[in-house]
Amino acid sequence: MPASTHRPVAVFQIHPAILSVAALAALLLQTLLPLKLPLTRLMDFPLLLLIYFALMRRDKMFGMGLGAGLGLLQDALSHGYIGIFGIAKAITGYLAASASTRFELESLLTRTVLTGVFVLAHNLCLYALQHVLLEAPPRFQPIATASAVLMNVALGLILFQILDRFRRPA
Amino acid sequence: MFDPSSPDMTRQAQTVDHDGPNMPAIIRRHRSFFTLLAVVTAQILLLSLQITRNNHVRLIRYWAVQAFDPFERSLGGLMNVSSTAYRTYRNLWHAEQENQELHLQLVAAQAQVQRLGEEAGETERLRTLLGFKNQMAFQTVAAEVIASSPGENSNAIFIDKGADSGLTNDLAVIIPEGVVGKIVAIFPHSAQVLLITDPSSGVGVSLAQSRVQGILKGGSNSSCDLHYVMNEEVVNRGEPVVTSGLDQVYPRGLPVGTVVNVGDGNIYKIINVKPAVDLNRLEMVLVVLKPAAAEQQAMNGTH
Repeated sequence: MPASTHRPVAVFQIHPAILSVAALAALLLQTLLPLKLPLTRLMDFPLLLLIYFALMRRDKMFGMGLGAGLGLLQDALSHGYIGIFGIAKAITGYLAASASTRFELESLLTRTVLTGVFVLAHNLCLYALQHVLLEAPPRFQPIATASAVLMNVALGLILFQILDRFRRPA
Repeated sequence: MFDPSSPDMTRQAQTVDHDGPNMPAIIRRHRSFFTLLAVVTAQILLLSLQITRNNHVRLIRYWAVQAFDPFERSLGGLMNVSSTAYRTYRNLWHAEQENQELHLQLVAAQAQVQRLGEEAGETERLRTLLGFKNQMAFQTVAAEVIASSPGENSNAIFIDKGADSGLTNDLAVIIPEGVVGKIVAIFPHSAQVLLITDPSSGVGVSLAQSRVQGILKGGSNSSCDLHYVMNEEVVNRGEPVVTSGLDQVYPRGLPVGTVVNVGDGNIYKIINVKPAVDLNRLEMVLVVLKPAAAEQQAMNGTH
């Protein structure tokens, strides 16, 4: 696309080592925290990480790849079928990277709304996959879904502030 | 501290370009989307290897069977239709062949039936003739009618027995229904028989009821006339006419015909007699042998 049609937006990157540590930490938190705090079962640390990095990198391929990778790892660590989270997070990463070029991401409001939208999209995608593929899919629980969105948005706002310290311009 | 709002930090968003030189334009333009599709598809395939349905049938097998099922049904249906059509055509062709063969057989069978019917009829006639012959007090020789005399007014026939069978002139020729005529010419292997309907023939007859005697001669339209019956005699229509035996040719009491018309003439009655025998449908006849001819017949070994 011609440059004159683009608003100038900031593109950041994260050091691969920091990205790896962050991903590992997210997965560990996802598997360990619910043992101590059952409420944290609604949180999705890898998802928040994905949303942040996809928005910052503004690269669809990166967002898709990161989402697929995190999702497959999350599947591997769960007792469910490998690929459910992989598909959902790949699509979420792609959408997040696609949307990132259209919004100013430094605004708190923007971050809040985008995070909420992508968390909701991720959970709906999960539900749709389970409904299509599984013989006995779980029932859709709107209250639990809404609660998960709110909780992840709140967590995301905190997490994004922490991760902002490690990003650098591309 | 990192300042994201610094002008140095902003720049144009770069479109990450990993295009290959040979990619179609639409794929090049939406490369990331197609890559997403590929990634999602790969993970769906991965899931299909794990998820089972319907008694542990893997999802991938389930999808594959579902995907190919319509084509298999269609192709199977098409093959069945083709096979049925070919079989029907082949059966029809065989049926046509068989029909032709059966038609030929039918024609042959019909011809045979007709021939057998003719033979049966002839056998029956011969049996009747034989039975009649056995009943008679006189000897006879069976003969087949082989020809009639040419000519519009022909009232003569030829039979297949002649001098070699011991026949002579003036032998009576009869069939069970009645009198046919008499032999008027003898040949070595055949004989000519003058029918009673010929004007030159004459049969001594009598009426069966009134016992009135007369001479039967051939008349017109294949009928006969009874001559020399006085007007005073009583003759009724429908009265049978039989041979009288007085002519020394025809044995006595053989049926000759039936009176169909009676009228008075000058002196004699005018009497029309319809012959008892259908002289147009003669096939087998009996020749009545006189005692001398019978002996000759016995010497020749024919009967």
